[in-house]
Amino acid sequence: MKKQYLLLIVVAGLLTFFSSCKNETVYKTLIITGQNNHNWKASSPVLKQILDETGLFSAEIMTTPDKGGDMKTFNPDFSKYKLVVIDYNGDSWSEKTNNAFVEYVKNGGGVVFYHAADNSFPSWKEYNEMTGLGGWGNRNQKDGPYVYYKNNILVTDTSVGNGGSHGKRREFLVRTRITDHPITRGLPVAWLHGTDELYSQLRGPAKNMQILATAFADSAAGGGTMRDEPMLMTITFGKGRIFHTTMGHADEGGGPSMHCVGFITTLQRGAEWAVTGDVTQKVPWDFPSAAGVVLRPDFKEMTLDEAFANIGNYEIPKSTKYLSCIQSHIRNLAGDETGILKIEKMMVKVLKNNETTVEAKKLLLRELSWMGSDYSVPAIKELVLNSELKDEAEFALSRLQK
Amino acid sequence: MAHKSSRRDFVKRSAALVAGAFVLPQIIPSSAFGMGRRIAPSDRIVIGSIGVGSQGMSNMRDFLRLKDALQFVAVCDVDTHHLAVAKDTIDLANKNSDCRIYGDYREFLEKEKPDAVSIALPDHWHGIIYSTAANKKINVYGEKPICRTIKDGQTIVNAVKRNNIIWQTGSWQRSVANFHRGAELAINGRVGKIKYIEVGLPDGNRGIGTPPVKPVPAELNWEMWLGPALKVPYRGVSHWDWRWILDYSGGQMTDWAGHHIDIANWGAGLEHTGPVEISGAGVYPVEGIFNVPVEYDFLCKYANGIEMRVANASRLPLGMGTTWHGDLGWLHVDRGDIISASDPKILNEVIGDNEIHLYKSENHWQNFVDCVKSGKPTIAPVEVAYRAISVALLGEIAMTTGQTIKWDPEKEEIIGNPKATRLLSRPYRQPWTLPIV
Repeated sequence: MKKQYLLLIVVAGLLTFFSSCKNETVYKTLIITGQNNHNWKASSPVLKQILDETGLFSAEIMTTPDKGGDMKTFNPDFSKYKLVVIDYNGDSWSEKTNNAFVEYVKNGGGVVFYHAADNSFPSWKEYNEMTGLGGWGNRNQKDGPYVYYKNNILVTDTSVGNGGSHGKRREFLVRTRITDHPITRGLPVAWLHGTDELYSQLRGPAKNMQILATAFADSAAGGGTMRDEPMLMTITFGKGRIFHTTMGHADEGGGPSMHCVGFITTLQRGAEWAVTGDVTQKVPWDFPSAAGVVLRPDFKEMTLDEAFANIGNYEIPKSTKYLSCIQSHIRNLAGDETGILKIEKMMVKVLKNNETTVEAKKLLLRELSWMGSDYSVPAIKELVLNSELKDEAEFALSRLQK
Repeated sequence: MAHKSSRRDFVKRSAALVAGAFVLPQIIPSSAFGMGRRIAPSDRIVIGSIGVGSQGMSNMRDFLRLKDALQFVAVCDVDTHHLAVAKDTIDLANKNSDCRIYGDYREFLEKEKPDAVSIALPDHWHGIIYSTAANKKINVYGEKPICRTIKDGQTIVNAVKRNNIIWQTGSWQRSVANFHRGAELAINGRVGKIKYIEVGLPDGNRGIGTPPVKPVPAELNWEMWLGPALKVPYRGVSHWDWRWILDYSGGQMTDWAGHHIDIANWGAGLEHTGPVEISGAGVYPVEGIFNVPVEYDFLCKYANGIEMRVANASRLPLGMGTTWHGDLGWLHVDRGDIISASDPKILNEVIGDNEIHLYKSENHWQNFVDCVKSGKPTIAPVEVAYRAISVALLGEIAMTTGQTIKWDPEKEEIIGNPKATRLLSRPYRQPWTLPIV
């Protein structure tokens, strides 16, 4: 009995210790919204969910007064937060709030500007220095140059014209321009983004700004500039770090632009960088490539256990993502035999399950053929007797028994 | 005018053509008269094609330009639509209707016994058909990459050597001036001692998701198309798009290895060896049946200290093509007659009489024809092609396993990694086996 109590106390102590450790690394985050020409009621909870999902942030949503309301009542205490996310495009804040925000960033506070946040406050000088580039709100040559890539060359274009445009919403290819920045490190150089507005012709002070990624605004969708337009940017302002994503036009529930793993991941990584100047998050296994858009229905990264819970139902016209998840985990183990055996055992369990479809077994047998061990052999030998699986079982055994 | 007939008529006609193939060849290959596989300069080479899809037809058209040197007599394909187009093309060129057609390469080789064959097939068929043709002492113009696996490649190389046939790889860039010039400048030290090579190959393609099963079209022999590959239901993916599926190809990375890696090896003197250490990573599609890497980036280290980075073009500063970096500068070559250097003066350098003069050819298909007649080696011999694709296949293994692979280029073995070693071959589906060489 005594021993058990002791154990309980130790466990309780450890739990307290770990949870306190965790608290230290959770960055208090403020999402400001409440006015927007976009559906902020849809977007702001999604932004919160995406950030909280990392375990790094604890986000709260603060709404301003409605349009025409008394902005003097909007006085966030920025100093309580490590990160401020702006999902706002509306009335000017009070001068006091503006000044407090500028001080917060100057002193090293992190900021994320999301989508139409770069439409906001066209005449607030410091705000525009923080966004780097903005659009609409009568922005034109007086506000700074257009910045974009043309034929892979970075162009600062001071020509006369309005700031801000976009064609019809569509899927588009995002190109990484700086591959060794903490936010983009390890990401594919090209990935397809879920249906979204492709912000174009943004202009602004563009000081202390780096363009991490662009997208080509072709003319097919209408309104195309035939330029590679900035999609992801970093800006520094005083000691503050700013991440600016032009993507994520929200529909009810977020829509494909926000369910896109590319949007989710770059937001999570950009937010961490804005707080710490580095990124500790791993590139998720389901990050998209030029092969196609990848959406997460619930914004969460699928785990290996979830993949194994679903792989057994695979049939010809169904999604292959569960297999992709398992393969990705195997690759990431880089020959760690203990880890691979653990996965092999899970694979064999699915293989032996009578509920597992023939097509799922075929996929698993191909994979086991190279990464399996003696552990798999008896289960595979049984499948040689199954006429539907004979070829794949022999394929696997031929490699495993070499 | 055949193309104006309805699709149904077309299929019927094609089927009739296949049936009509069982007649004895009227043109007897010169080699049948005891000359082995060498053709007297005055004689025309009797040639046929196996695989007459897009690349096979492209090669055929290049060969047909050399009409005085050769005569096309027969074609073989698993798609009767391909056969009908190929036969029309040849008959038009020959001004007769004698071109014979086959649906099975075994029958084609046995009945025709041509002097030479032009082969352009999905990679998973290369091991069997290249080796079988070589065993029958038929000279081969074979498309790159010459193999889907290292084991297939070793078998092909042995078959070509043991049977002493003339082999030309479809690595036609060797017969284009800027590539030749670039490689010759590089191998003669015009950028100094080569330390590092960058090879940019195309970015991967957009996927097609997971299409449902469809009826196999009447013109396609799906079972024969699959051959040694695992049986899968037909989903509307076969010609051309096989290159996005790992059962048949390694994607752009292996598809283009026979071009820019081959050129890299040529200019760096790495044609007869391979890397000793390979590591890298790929970006794989999350969704769909196209499962080759869409992006890839791997580094090969050679015993002599040279390093070669192979990646999809968007990841590299100079994009597509081959760049040799030496201690005095760099030199870049790519398609579109591109040749550039860190110092433009390098491009005007003269190669002296006592320096290395690389094999010169101005027409890749003519070079094959000439060599079949002369018995001399071609500009793109089989072992060289094997060494070029080996680089990509070893890169593929490093990416699949997530591990650094150690390779013995002499013994052609992976060192100390039994699981990676399994990936050096792909088991064949019964009853297919690699021919015994």
